[in-house]
Amino acid sequence: MSALQLEGVGFTYPGAPAPALRRCSLRADGGAVTWLMGALGAGTSTALLVAAGLAPRHTGGERTGTVLTLGLDPATPSSATALGGRVALVLPSPATQLSGIAETVAQEVAFAPANLGWPRGRIHEGVAGALAALDIAHLAHRDPGTLSGGEMQRIVIAAMLVLQPELWLLDEPTSALDAAGRAILHRLMRSEAARGAAVVIASEDADGLAGVADRLVVFEEGRPVLDRRPDVLLRGGEVWAAGAGSTTIAELSRATGEAEPRPLTVEEGVARWTR
Amino acid sequence: MTLPPGAPASRAHPFTPLVLTLAVAVAVVSAPGPAAAAVLYGATILGVLAAGAGRAALRALVPLAPLWLFLFLLHGVLGEGDRIVMAGVSLSRDGLALAATQACRLGAIATASLALYAAFSPARFVDAVAARGWPFALSYLVVATLLALPRFRARAAAILEAQRSRGLRLQGNPFRRARALAPVTFPLLLGALAEVDERGFALETRCASGVTRRTPLDPPRDSVTDRAVRWLAGLAAAAMVCWRVLT
Repeated sequence: MSALQLEGVGFTYPGAPAPALRRCSLRADGGAVTWLMGALGAGTSTALLVAAGLAPRHTGGERTGTVLTLGLDPATPSSATALGGRVALVLPSPATQLSGIAETVAQEVAFAPANLGWPRGRIHEGVAGALAALDIAHLAHRDPGTLSGGEMQRIVIAAMLVLQPELWLLDEPTSALDAAGRAILHRLMRSEAARGAAVVIASEDADGLAGVADRLVVFEEGRPVLDRRPDVLLRGGEVWAAGAGSTTIAELSRATGEAEPRPLTVEEGVARWTR
Repeated sequence: MTLPPGAPASRAHPFTPLVLTLAVAVAVVSAPGPAAAAVLYGATILGVLAAGAGRAALRALVPLAPLWLFLFLLHGVLGEGDRIVMAGVSLSRDGLALAATQACRLGAIATASLALYAAFSPARFVDAVAARGWPFALSYLVVATLLALPRFRARAAAILEAQRSRGLRLQGNPFRRARALAPVTFPLLLGALAEVDERGFALETRCASGVTRRTPLDPPRDSVTDRAVRWLAGLAAAAMVCWRVLT
């Protein structure tokens, strides 16, 4: 069974003139990194909210179709409790994802395990591991509200990592990260997939994710229209036709009118253009 | 928390300053006249000084000064009843007594509240509630309420700076200043609403609405002194209410 399964899902926000998702079908399996990409309003962020059950439970609106998150419909209150700690959600703006009650980074990361009633020893051990994995152990005693956006984003990710979730739902998680932070996140996504977790990431960071994701699912008008390996899709023209983009090098190659398949990385570009 | 960690109010169990503040509010509102209200205000200032939160008493004077002036004008100058002349000004005797009572009530409540705010540690309070086995929602309600103002103020400052950098002019005649309110107020309110949504998402994802009993990370010690102070404060407030009802 897939960790995440959407079958013919439609979703319309309250008062919206058009649905954000239309007959959207998507599967994400444990052990793989699934990358969602699309133009603005294509529905990738909504798909993550629906998968987490927050749409429509928090957002309101109307959902149709079948959603199974770790085998449960996340929109029901009982499932929300059962999924607690098993699904990680990371949103683009880190400042609004802090608990607002922690005085130190360590307390912030311990927030969810404490809510789940973990024993103190297990919490401290998990917090230390998560902080080390995100390379922010030196911030453990700092006030999270006073840190930079990139540091806050790492804290938010560490606060999810400590739970060892079975399903990761990441919406533009690199929006506030610097190059070092992005590299850490990419390594983390691979290691989480290797642990058996399903990782679903909605991002436009083609340069970063081209070599990280196992699958690229391109959304257009509220549903997936392309679903293949990233290195295959990003070299072709279909992603552009769907309103999405590719890596900087592929974009450069496209702008110069080169034929497909296009190079994706600096190394590939240099190899082609210095022949 | 803005007090140094060594201050008595910082070391106290988080429920103690809260109970003391509530007791001060109940007692001073029940105080029957200016003398009792003044004694309670004085006791509050002494208590706050002893707790190491003396700045709170000073800081309370900023909002209190205009309120006291307003009370003096409303009741003392414009009040009815017997008149007395002070420094050549005719004042209402009853009005002055009422103004003094209200001024002391406001002073005691503001001073105690600011001291509570200065001594308040969100994490310690949440741990104290969790240690009692009470629901997390209860502690979050208190913490979110107390932290709402500084967050709102920080957001307002950021929006103000952003709008200034886009050419918003705040100086000038009252009409221009009033017009400048809209570009600051609307983003402030809309941003606050959006933040509520996103924070709701984050809290649910982090199991804040769970049914499991929360683990206190570092439960604060509830000493005999803390418990005694809380009981005494509660009894004193109850006694003041009884006195008010019976006299």
